[in-house]
Amino acid sequence: MSFQATAGTTGLFVVAAALRLLLFTAFPGLPNLLTGRVEISTPVTSFKRLQEGLFLYNHNVSPYDGGVYHQAPLLLPLFSLLPDPTIYPIFTYILYTLVDLLSANALFKIAESGEGGASRLYSSPRKEKRWSGYVVAALFLFNPFTIATCIGRPTSVFTTCAILHAVAKALSGNIFTSMLSLSFAAYLSMYPLLLLPPMVILAYDRTYNYKAPKSLAQLAGMCTLAVGVSLSLLFLSSYALTGSWEFLSSTYGIQLTLTDLTPNAGLWWYFFTEMFDSFRSFFLGVFWLHLSSYTPALTIRLRQQPLAVITLLLGIFAIFKPYPSIADTSLFLSLVPCFRHVFPLLRYSFVTASVVLYGTFLGPAFYHLWIYAGSGNANFFYAITLVWSLGLSLLVSDLAFAVLRDEWEVERPEMRGKEIRQI
Amino acid sequence: MQSFSFSSLIPLLTFLVSFAVASAAPAADYHEQLNLKPLPQNSPSGQLQFPFEAHNFRFFPRSLGQILQHAGTRELHLRFSLGRWDAETWGARPWDGTKEGGTGVELWAWLEAESDDEADHKWLTLTNALSGLFCASLNFIDSTRTTRPVMSFRPEGDHPNTTMANMHLLHGVLPREVVCTENLTPFLKLLPCKGKAGVSSLLDGHKLFDASWQSMAIDVKPVCPIGEECVLQIEQTIDMVLDIERSKRPRDNPIPRPPPSHELKCNTTKPYHADDTCFPTDSLNAQEWNLNQIFGKPMLGNCPLTDPQTPPVCIQAPHTRDVFTSMGVEELKEPGNENQRCYLLPSNDEEFHLSLPFMPRDGDRPKTDADEFVQPATPLLYAERSLTGHGQEHGGVQAILTNPSPDAEVEFVYMESLPWFMRIYLHTLKARISHRTGSDAGQTLHDDDDVIKEIYYRPFLDRQRGTQLEIRMKIPPGSTVFMAYDFEKTILRYTEYPPDANRGFDVAAAVITILPSNSTTTTGGKAARMSNLRTTSMLLNLPTPDFSMPYNVIIFTSTCIALAFGGLYNILVRRFVGRDEGARGQLGQAAEEAAGGRAEGQGQSAREARG
Repeated sequence: MSFQATAGTTGLFVVAAALRLLLFTAFPGLPNLLTGRVEISTPVTSFKRLQEGLFLYNHNVSPYDGGVYHQAPLLLPLFSLLPDPTIYPIFTYILYTLVDLLSANALFKIAESGEGGASRLYSSPRKEKRWSGYVVAALFLFNPFTIATCIGRPTSVFTTCAILHAVAKALSGNIFTSMLSLSFAAYLSMYPLLLLPPMVILAYDRTYNYKAPKSLAQLAGMCTLAVGVSLSLLFLSSYALTGSWEFLSSTYGIQLTLTDLTPNAGLWWYFFTEMFDSFRSFFLGVFWLHLSSYTPALTIRLRQQPLAVITLLLGIFAIFKPYPSIADTSLFLSLVPCFRHVFPLLRYSFVTASVVLYGTFLGPAFYHLWIYAGSGNANFFYAITLVWSLGLSLLVSDLAFAVLRDEWEVERPEMRGKEIRQI
Repeated sequence: MQSFSFSSLIPLLTFLVSFAVASAAPAADYHEQLNLKPLPQNSPSGQLQFPFEAHNFRFFPRSLGQILQHAGTRELHLRFSLGRWDAETWGARPWDGTKEGGTGVELWAWLEAESDDEADHKWLTLTNALSGLFCASLNFIDSTRTTRPVMSFRPEGDHPNTTMANMHLLHGVLPREVVCTENLTPFLKLLPCKGKAGVSSLLDGHKLFDASWQSMAIDVKPVCPIGEECVLQIEQTIDMVLDIERSKRPRDNPIPRPPPSHELKCNTTKPYHADDTCFPTDSLNAQEWNLNQIFGKPMLGNCPLTDPQTPPVCIQAPHTRDVFTSMGVEELKEPGNENQRCYLLPSNDEEFHLSLPFMPRDGDRPKTDADEFVQPATPLLYAERSLTGHGQEHGGVQAILTNPSPDAEVEFVYMESLPWFMRIYLHTLKARISHRTGSDAGQTLHDDDDVIKEIYYRPFLDRQRGTQLEIRMKIPPGSTVFMAYDFEKTILRYTEYPPDANRGFDVAAAVITILPSNSTTTTGGKAARMSNLRTTSMLLNLPTPDFSMPYNVIIFTSTCIALAFGGLYNILVRRFVGRDEGARGQLGQAAEEAAGGRAEGQGQSAREARG
């Protein structure tokens, strides 16, 4: 590992790692408690399901011939290398802490690049007002959502790490490393594939050579090819590992068909629990179309600020993907501080913060009322997921508004601080 | 020996019939027997057990035969069961548990098929046909309730090796099925005397399904006696444990009422026993009963089609027990067997009566329990299974398996077939052992990996198949094994819940097959058979959605998505202008003018007022 960090960040990382290891070891029941929480562990990321898959894999039963394990095949040999987590949990703890630190390191680089405030085509009038990578990484590492995710050990932390590294590498101009990293993220969770267009634009902008400009289409083709090749390699190695292609339907099919309706923080599970059977496939199509429709729209409208597109898309995924968890929220929230310069333009920051906090505290309470106390029904938790989603979507659209207004004020500097409206 | 096949079923039977008539051979084609066995009455009321047996070659029911032939079934076992066998009180199970099923309906069969798909297809045919024949919901045994046991069941019939290769064992359970009179009627129709005469005339749905425990079994298998041709054999068995007190309750006044105080039998040894305080005794020692009372109707003579050599009624009680029968009945006492006597009925249609009088415990010639009952044999294994945990998210299953034998270890296969919505985590499977004897007697539980010898696990697939878990275990003498695993409860689509969703879902009984150990193979000169036992079924509570509001949920979620999408769409698509710039819509203009006018008017009136 090469931390390109100052002494300050080293200290930050040490403190963050110490905090995590302290939580892991001081409260031995905490990791398993958080692993069982539906807000953290979803059917496609749960650590308990990973253990089950690992157990079956180590006993020569195909984990994909069952309904428990829906995670990528390459995680199996990775975790087989670690000692049994029930006997020597410390190795797992160290691994998850390291992954968090790697993500924080990537985030540090992203924030330090200044891409949030000034890209190739666009430079914000407020770009001086920004937080250093140190602050951004600290906000990520000490975000309660991130810490809870790390302790709960879902495999979504690997996706988070891969996405952040893809962005960081695209910023530093390593297109192929970036695309490889993105392929890993897509391989683990599928939805990061939708980040490909803004990632290509980001890479294009960062490697733009004014003297000999390459065409965007050419780079896009190269990037798509790179992602395609690396994904096929990953799939082929998975095939070699499991001996059949059934992992495809078990890992990605479940996200497309939503056969597992375990409650989570998102909108899909209750909708498809209550859906009439004849309309199920139609609405699955609509929901996926809706989720993927944001990518081209944002990429085109915010062509000048690809990092903003990626941030907004991550926010949208955290709300609208089939199995969202607070790990996705923490990834989105970790990139938001890169746009410190537009914070004054946010209109509903108080409302958003209140609603998100409201959802954070009432979600577990209402879930308890439904599942354990029996004094509430499923609508209690459903209502909270609605509030949570509305709060996050308010934050996403408010951020989009702020970024666009910031862009607009470049054309109309005299409108700074004035009231505006949209026609 | 000619291999027996279903296509030759009917001609073969016809041949047998003619042969039997021509030579008047004594070989039994059909016999039936009622076995009565008074059980010890440690529980508040006495119990009896009545296995019926009907071996039938000549009179093989054509309706069933055609179904089996059509579905390519080589061997069939069908069970309808209710209640729980109380092994602590009643001891070992009748027929070593081989003729009982888990609560509800259980069906397993060996089908002849080239491939798994063909076997599945034939299984579907079989279950649907049997469903019609027995008025049971057997057609609901779909792929999610069907398993292919690997270690648990063995074919009982004689199958040539050539057909064994193509035989597929399929097993299905309907734990929720309520066994009732409509299942008894077709069961009786299969008998040659159709319940009109003989032992089967005693059967009455009111009494049978009021039993503490009952199991109806149908076993069809090919048998090949040495030197003869193979025939198809059907055995129909009914085992039941009747509560005498309840059975004797008069039909016109069936509601149980507390007995008046002078009829209460009190336990006088209690310190607080007084005239106005009574602790009811838990053992009503001596019981008197007769056949008419407990079955609610008399036995109508002998079935004329049975083998005359087989006594139709037997009672397993010590010879010291007084038993009175109707006139003309011949009592047979086997010399070596002190605990059994049988009765041969005269071949007329007279009703058969049997009565066991009250045996006084005091007086001139006091009797003891040993005079009245045969102490039941200790079972090879006690098994119970229960759900652990709370809440509707996670749970656990714990099975407690006790080997009561002081010196012999017991080896068995524990099979669970769980519904798919019970997501079990096999990595949490733990077996802990506690020894009652030996150096570490009474010590706390400790993990023991040696108990579990082998595991066969086929994980569930959502909405396609259930979990199949077979565990071969060996328990040392005098030890108890606690086996536990975790599972997760699934939330289902709202259309997948039954109408009373909050009642819970029935989980089928675990089937335990005790493998014959080497030491017991030679006992009795017979090859030791496998014996079975089954745990009770479980009731699993799943989280439920709100069934009343699918429309509301669709509307609310769509609104939420529309708000998010619409908000973002607005921001992305519309242009920014200053608050006071740009063209206004007519409505906006009018509204502003109206607002401005009102303000002016107000100002005017204010000025006027001041002026």
